[in-house]
Order: sequence, then C-alpha cells, then structure tokens
Amino acid sequence: MSVEPSLRLRGLRKSFGKRRALDGIDLTLEGPQIVGIVGPDGAGKTTLLRAIAGLLEITADEATVLGFDLRGDVRALKAQIGYVPQSFSLHRDLSVSENLRFTARLHRLSNAEFERRAELLLARTGLSPFLDRPAGALSGGMKQKLSIANALLPKPALLVLDEPTAGVDVMARDEIWRILEERRSEALVLISTSYLEETEACDRLIYLDEGCVVAQGTPAELRAQVPVKLLRAWGNDPRAIARAAGSLPYVVSARVRGPFARIEIAADAPGEARLRADFAGFAPRVWLVEPTPVDMESALLFLSRKQSPRTGAP
Amino acid sequence: MSAPIISVRNLTKRFGDFTAVDQLAIDVVPSSIFAFLGANGSGKSTTIRMLIGLLRPTEGSIEVDGIDVIRHPRRVRDHIGYMGQKVSLYQGLSLRENVEFYAGLHGLAGRELEARWGALRERFRLSDAEAERPENLPAGIRQRAGLALATLHRPRVLFLDEPTAGVDVHSRSLFWELIREEADAGRTVFVTTHFLEEVDYCDWASFIDEGKLIANAAPEDLRRRYSEGYRVHIDGEPAQELTTPALDDAFFADELDPLLALRPGARVQIDTPSMTDVFRRVIAESAGTRHAQP
Repeated sequence: MSVEPSLRLRGLRKSFGKRRALDGIDLTLEGPQIVGIVGPDGAGKTTLLRAIAGLLEITADEATVLGFDLRGDVRALKAQIGYVPQSFSLHRDLSVSENLRFTARLHRLSNAEFERRAELLLARTGLSPFLDRPAGALSGGMKQKLSIANALLPKPALLVLDEPTAGVDVMARDEIWRILEERRSEALVLISTSYLEETEACDRLIYLDEGCVVAQGTPAELRAQVPVKLLRAWGNDPRAIARAAGSLPYVVSARVRGPFARIEIAADAPGEARLRADFAGFAPRVWLVEPTPVDMESALLFLSRKQSPRTGAP
Repeated sequence: MSAPIISVRNLTKRFGDFTAVDQLAIDVVPSSIFAFLGANGSGKSTTIRMLIGLLRPTEGSIEVDGIDVIRHPRRVRDHIGYMGQKVSLYQGLSLRENVEFYAGLHGLAGRELEARWGALRERFRLSDAEAERPENLPAGIRQRAGLALATLHRPRVLFLDEPTAGVDVHSRSLFWELIREEADAGRTVFVTTHFLEEVDYCDWASFIDEGKLIANAAPEDLRRRYSEGYRVHIDGEPAQELTTPALDDAFFADELDPLLALRPGARVQIDTPSMTDVFRRVIAESAGTRHAQP
C-alpha cells in the first residue's frame, strides 16, 4: 500500500502551559521530497516535528497528514510514520538485531520481509558487524544510524527526523544522507538540522521563528532573498582585514574564516571599484577581493536578524 | 615558541582488551585554540576525561599548566574550566542560582563575584536569561551560559567538548567570537566539534582515529597535505585556472598579480578545499594505512 505523502496544516497551535510553542503554523507539502526544518534554537522545530508525527494534542483549522486528521485518532497514521527523536530512544539493553526485530513485530512485518529489509538497512548503515551489540553500547553515530534503520524498517511514507546528525561524525553523516537520498523519491522526509551543508542538500527548507513559518522555498530561493552581497578578502592577516572592513559604513558583517575575511556588504553598497579602493587603503594588505555567491550561512543569518528572537539574542 | 601549556606523552588508556587511547602525544600552545577531532568512538572524550583528571590513564604523562595531572588530579581543577556535550547546569535552579553555586565552589563571592559575573553577563548576552531555568532556555543561550560558568573562575585552560552540537548558526557564530576573545585574553581553548568548518576558527587541529594521532597541524597545513589545493579561476579569453597548495603572499605576488596585470578587472574565483573534505581524506588515508598493515 502506498500513500501519496502529503501534509496540510493551517493555523496549527500548541502551547505548553503559558508558553506558546507553535503559533499558527501554515504549511502545505506535497509528494516525496526532503524538507529541512530550520530556524533559531527555541523556534518550535521539535514541537512541529512531534505534532506532525502525531505525538501531541494540538489545535488547528486544518491538520491533515497522509490523509489523517491530527485532531482525531492518529493510531493508523503512526503506523505509516518513521520518527527519530532528538534523544536516543531505542531499547539500550536489546541488541541491534533485537531492536529491529521488535520494531518489525510492532509493524507486523512477515519474517521474509523483515529479513530482506533488515539486511539491506544494516548493510547501508554499516551496522552488520554489530548485530549482537547492545544498543546502549554503540557510539553516538552508530546509535543514530540504528534509530534511522529502525524508523525505515516498515517503509514509512513519512519520515520525521529531529536533528539526527547532531554530534555525529562526518562519515556517519555521509552514510545517513546516502540513506535519505534513497528515500527522496519515495517518501516525504522531514529533517531538522543545524549543519549548513545538510540544509543545502534539502529540496525545500521551512524556516521557523517564534512558532511560525516565516520563510520557505528551495535553498536557492532562500539565498536569493538575502539583500546582501558576499565577498571574500584574501591577505595574510585576515583578522586585521576583518577588523578594518568592519569599520566601513556599507559593511554588514566581517568575520575571519580561516585564510580569508568573509564580508557581507549591503546590496546597494558602492560598486566593487570603490570597495577595492577602500580595501587598498587598509594597513593589512588585501591581495584580492573576491565576490562570491551568497551562501546558506548568510541566508540563515539574514533570516535570524530579520526576526526578533525572544530572549538573549541581539 | 612558548612552552606548551598542555603536554601529553605516550598517553594510553586500555579498558580490558580494548585500547581506547594509544600512545597519544600532543602539545598545545598557550593562548591558542586547539581543535581535537575524530569520529564518534575514536577516543576523544576518553582523552579529555584524562586531561581534566577524571580518568586515570594506563600509561603516559599529562601536564596541564605546569601540573602533573596524573599525580595531582585535584590540583588541576582550579586551572581549568570544562564544558561537556550536555551542559552541566543544574535544572530546577535559575541561571543566577547556578552562577552562585559554581562561584561558591571556587571561593568567589560578594563584590568580586558581582564584578566578574556582571562583566560576563554583559559580554555573553545573558542578562535576559538570568532568572530563567536552564531547561527553559534555547540551546544556544544555554551553551553561552555553560561557557560563562566554565570561565567564571578565570581558568587558564578551557576544555569544551562539542560545545556547539545542535546549536543554530547565529548562536554558533556568536559562540566562536566569544571563544576567540577568551583566547586573545590569554586563555587556552581545547575544543572538539563535528562542525568541521569551525576548524577554520582554530589555530591548530589534531585528528585521532582508533585512539591514535593521525594528523596534527595548523588548518592551512592540513589543507596543503590533505586536499588538491586551492583552484583559482580567472575569467577572460581564454579563461585560466591555477592550482596552488596555499594562498600565501608568494602565490599572489609571483603568480596571480602578473596574470591580473594583463587582465585588469578580471573576475577571480577561488575554490577552497572544505575542512569536511580534508577530514574525510585524513580518515580515509588512516584507514588505508591500517588495512595495508598485516
């Protein structure tokens, strides 16, 4: 049975006591794709993912996920969702294979189907050599890979992943993403992440702040909204260059990034010639000013400056 | 070069038959930011636990700020600040109460505490968070609070174990500005991370794999050794492409500038090897060496 994965939310709200975590989410997603949920800490990403997975009581004008109403009985919906929460939640005392078998039973997979699926997923995740190891004794990266294999076992039409790669090394992240890429054309994959390169790999990004969707689009569309130009200034003292650049009136931000200074300038800043002239006057020598395409870092920082986060941030 | 503030030799930790850390030798320059990198399960956290005196090594020596940590594990505590993957703030206590608790551990009180905390609160942008309980704070602010508490007693060395895991891009960038300020003020920072682009904020990076040191160099030297180098593309008819292991004065003066003199105003694009790719290559080469050995 295959369901065309889709999701329609209108005016979705969720409060915890007095705190309003989701404040009227409007979101429509159609068809298989990888959707990144991004935004500042505390924006409501985890709450949204849990609500979509049918784990929270919510209020909404409309809240349909895979054809089921989130405001009603969601047991049948949960059978079609693979959910990986932020903190490891499999059975620590059970081995890798026992955890998978347990999930297979819950979903009433036949033995043959289980064997076939499990073998494939174990090979993909590189967990085959660790079948008998208790899940609690796996390294952080392996735990996450097991959680994902476990969520994928019943071939869910919707996969919900809450920061599955936080604290995970780059090799395990590469493996996790290879698995997600394989699902790209078959399932709706919702993933929250703070890695910039992972947001770039999504088909679509949903930017949340203060419990609302404040921007969405493809990574390229979000980058295109940013009203700054990005430059890299190369020289042998990038710190001094960044400091000097920071004093120019049209510079939005200037930071050292290893061998160069990463400089954002206002979109209406004077032309490059003026800029080169200004930089030529710097005491630290600037060898080269290189205009470079606006990246996801600029896009997300712009969105976070545009909104006013609740506490602590500038 | 000044004498290292952290000096580790032959450091080994075995748990039964399993060697978690194997003959590790590292030196950390005072007032620098030192990135300690490796895959999950490579021995990073075990090493940090030994460096801060929480775990006794099987073999080897550790000196931190002139203290023999193996012989005097308690004495080192006033010299270091530590912040773990899960920030050690007490839930149920407000941030302010946490501050008073930690200050008490280090004998900091009264006017001295007010002055020190007042300055940190300002610089770390924590004023609005002071009355809140840590469990109600967004991750980024909680991490800044953790860093403020780890530096409260003015330690000479800060150990930060994945301080930015799960933290948003805005808070990460602010966090690294604070770390750089700490280093500029003379503190040494020993930090682990899986955001490999953060290695470019550090002065030095060491990689371990299966408990062994497999690479140990400044970030630019790692690029030189573990990538195809920078690709420099110059627009024009015909376009030109140069490859260089490093973008240093010699490259700009001797190679690029003469070419640009012939093409005034030509657009130049530089393809920078990413630290993530450098890391992948370090690990792949290490695995290759391992498999080549009988």
